[in-house]
Amino acid sequence: MALDVVKKESSFQAWVEHPASHIVHHDARCCEEARMWFLGYARSMQISALSRYELRAPTWLSQLFTWGPSAWPIAWCELVKMKTLDCGVFAALAREAFTAQGFEAHPAQALLSFNPTCTTHWKGLWKKPPKNPLPEPLKDQKKEKTHATFPWIGNEVVYHELCVLEMEGNQAKFYDSTWGNWFTPDQETGFGALLALRTECPRLLHWGDKIFSYGEWIDL
Amino acid sequence: MKKKIYITGMHSGQNPSSGLGIARCLRRAFPDVTLVGVDHTHGSSGLHDSIINEELLLPQWSQIQDDEHAAFIRARLEEGHLWIAALDMEVYWLSKHFGTHPHLLAPNKEALEFTAKPAVKILENWPVSSSAAGEFAEFQVPDYISANLPDAEIHSFLRTHCWQCWLKSPYHDALRISSWSVFERARAYLKSNWKTSNLFLQRNVIGNEETISFAAHQGQLLGAVHLEKLQLTPEGKTWAGRVKPLDESMSQNLGQMVQQLGWTGGGELEFVRDPDGRKWIIECNPRFPAWIYGSALMGANLPGKLISHLWKLPLLEAIKPSATFTRVVYEIPTKDAVGLPRPKDPSTFTWATDGKHGKGGPSFSALLPNLEEQSTSEVVPLLPLPPANLAAEISSIALFFSEETPSRISLPLWTQQIFETLHQKVQTYCATGKPRIQIGYSVKTSPTDHHLQAAKNCGFYAECITQKEVQRALNFGFAPHQIILNGPGKFWPLTDNPITGVQLLFCDSLEEFSRVLKAKEQPKTLGLRIQLPQIHSRFGNTLSNYQDFEGLLSALQDLKRIKRQPGLAFHFHMPSWSIGLKRWIEALESFLYWCKGLEQLCDLPVHTIDLGGGYFPEDLEKLNLAALGERVHSQLPQVKTLYLEPGRSLTQESEILFTRILDIRKNKNTKANSSEARAESDTEVIKEIVVDACIAELPLAQAFPHRIFFQEAGRVPSEVARVPLGVAHVPQRKTFALAQPGKARILGRICMEDDILGQNISIPPDVQIGDLVIFGDAGGYERSMSYGFGRG
Ligand SMILES: [Zn+2]
Repeated sequence: MALDVVKKESSFQAWVEHPASHIVHHDARCCEEARMWFLGYARSMQISALSRYELRAPTWLSQLFTWGPSAWPIAWCELVKMKTLDCGVFAALAREAFTAQGFEAHPAQALLSFNPTCTTHWKGLWKKPPKNPLPEPLKDQKKEKTHATFPWIGNEVVYHELCVLEMEGNQAKFYDSTWGNWFTPDQETGFGALLALRTECPRLLHWGDKIFSYGEWIDL
Repeated sequence: MKKKIYITGMHSGQNPSSGLGIARCLRRAFPDVTLVGVDHTHGSSGLHDSIINEELLLPQWSQIQDDEHAAFIRARLEEGHLWIAALDMEVYWLSKHFGTHPHLLAPNKEALEFTAKPAVKILENWPVSSSAAGEFAEFQVPDYISANLPDAEIHSFLRTHCWQCWLKSPYHDALRISSWSVFERARAYLKSNWKTSNLFLQRNVIGNEETISFAAHQGQLLGAVHLEKLQLTPEGKTWAGRVKPLDESMSQNLGQMVQQLGWTGGGELEFVRDPDGRKWIIECNPRFPAWIYGSALMGANLPGKLISHLWKLPLLEAIKPSATFTRVVYEIPTKDAVGLPRPKDPSTFTWATDGKHGKGGPSFSALLPNLEEQSTSEVVPLLPLPPANLAAEISSIALFFSEETPSRISLPLWTQQIFETLHQKVQTYCATGKPRIQIGYSVKTSPTDHHLQAAKNCGFYAECITQKEVQRALNFGFAPHQIILNGPGKFWPLTDNPITGVQLLFCDSLEEFSRVLKAKEQPKTLGLRIQLPQIHSRFGNTLSNYQDFEGLLSALQDLKRIKRQPGLAFHFHMPSWSIGLKRWIEALESFLYWCKGLEQLCDLPVHTIDLGGGYFPEDLEKLNLAALGERVHSQLPQVKTLYLEPGRSLTQESEILFTRILDIRKNKNTKANSSEARAESDTEVIKEIVVDACIAELPLAQAFPHRIFFQEAGRVPSEVARVPLGVAHVPQRKTFALAQPGKARILGRICMEDDILGQNISIPPDVQIGDLVIFGDAGGYERSMSYGFGRG
């Protein structure tokens, strides 16, 4: 990766090697019920008076859950009872919602630029114990899980998970599932600017003048 | 003599005009030109900016002498100065009172006609693009209708577009319309504020706002930019945005448009890009936008290009591929030569800020030119006649009406026809359609004998919401297996032995569900009313969080465990007339998705679906039963019966309210020298009448438009024999008339400010005290929700 600022970060290697997050399904009634509820809820939240649009981004996710630390791995039957979820879960849920609408949605990962003052706050936020309620059967696993938090926050760069849609003509659309907005290929600098992107789409994707192949980090 | 550039529209507030932005562009391009800021309001803030060399404050537009002002502008232009018009209304005024001039930088009359709202006709000439999705116009116009159409048509348009529309004047202002009462207020406000009747309603489009701004001279496109609005003020004005060069094909199309129109000056195409990428035109403005300096920052100085072209001045530009800008607010010293308006004396104000608003003093519209309309716009279409049978029945009753008023009279023939029509429609569907459709008549809407009888005759079931209604239905002859029990109060009044052994019972909460499971008698089918996430309702079982969903699943497990297990049903009810038919269909799809999921998770087949009522009469007629049945069947093939529970749609039109006129009030034209008075000096027009009914008899008078009829009283010729009720007969007399649109209103008899029974109608000039005024559409909730008031 050509960007010096990224390479200076101690977690650099961990970020670029980290696979996108996926939700665990216990293959049992617990997760079936939870997933059905989520999909039913997603379907209802798409109700719109102006019904002619095909694509309806799940911006309501941020009303349903708060962004913050959540332990990995996480299963369907656990996450539906959580108040706080991290960007990996947001991205996985957004993929479910887009897929249910009939779109090809794939995981995407990003490295974003922020200033050290911001990242210090986030590090503090991630050190606090999660606010999520832990149901009885899960309590034993708690210790193991909190240790599993991924070091996503660097000094001036953070790792973030997104959702990429494969549109007509292999055009990509990058959706920030945590904050409910779309990235544009216009070059951005400054607070929250995109430094690099990676997708897990099995086909080539075009975005502005960039081309993405499966798993490859692209500098922006 | 040094040539000057006059720029109008200098106010820079939270809803800024473009003048200051244009001036800043020109100052950036040409440090030495003389800029003259022009405005008609003392308080126009941009005049104080130091980049303005001279300030010219003129009287308010309402005090402007058209010829005098035109001559003044012409004299400046003849001297070689330029005039840039930065206000829409001023551009229209110029086209009407001034015409064109080589030094006037504003589009001509024809260009204005072809770009007028809402159709923006010139865009039809843009080439059609094609893609995999088919051919589509570059810009589409969101559906719109004139606000002069009969109220019933407007109500229908608003229902169709789910009460998400804009009411717009042809020049300025757009108000959000979310209900009928909001519409009526907005229409009255815009009509009086803009002195126009050319208002129109347009459906709202969701998406991102973008605009294209351009500069042209005599049909030659000099430059254009594309703006994506990134931040908006609460009024919808640009606060921050990204400016880009216009793409090539768009640029070519724009070039052709400008050429066809011979455009001169600035211009702006405002549109919304919807989530599917389609572009919906909002309007075409005949001037530069107020954010135009934002594009100069990027290097595309459109006003600069215009002046550079005209005066052959060199213009240096370094264009960036894309740049963002934002607005800020900061303070500048005022100029003594301009000063500030003195605030009004506050002693009679309601709020201390009343006199100190940016646009304080005269109303906003007084600060803009008044464009008197052509008479063609005043033509108001006649109301469509009500169905012949309905009109005939009303008139035959009205002709011989002699009872006390107010009096609600039923229309037996029309009632029968409405019930029969639905019955036939269901029968036709059931011959082939799956699942079966069963109508449950909503008893609460109108529990009269004749309505219950009509329902019974058609084989409809009785949908009840209390134990009292169940008793009423049973006493009337409905069998228990013809009763549906619904709502949160179905066990009122409380007894030890409530009736539960009905055909269909829907629980409003899980608590109620578990009580019903323990009741002695089980309904044949037991169900839960579902409250969909996002559709706000106080009824039913919520699914908005996972714990509620788990509770629902466990209740269904309880159902599986009881001995004589009733069939499983789900109920969804949202009045389509208040959320709009399109949204209703979407909500239905979501409801069926939940039902399907619950069916799979619990391994319990859903036998019955109930879709409730709340259809507007016209919408029920339009409802396609076959499509509805197919929708349900495809998702839930095990559903045997689909229930619909109409009430309003069957009864609203089936009764009328007779009232008599108590007072007639006419316009006295006391302001003898006003132009309006001159026009109407020879005829006194009735502005309002008082009738002996009130909102106690018509509680929904302001919720939807009613058909209103007039009938002379006590002037029935003796030779006309009494026509028996029900014989279709329209008397060929002028004395029976349907009220047409107009400016008058009908006031109720009680001393309450909101007792207004009819608005925007015209009243026949020869009505007299004691004549009958008949309100149609007075059945249904107008009956069941009426109350006694002011009767001594
Ligand atoms: Zn599970």
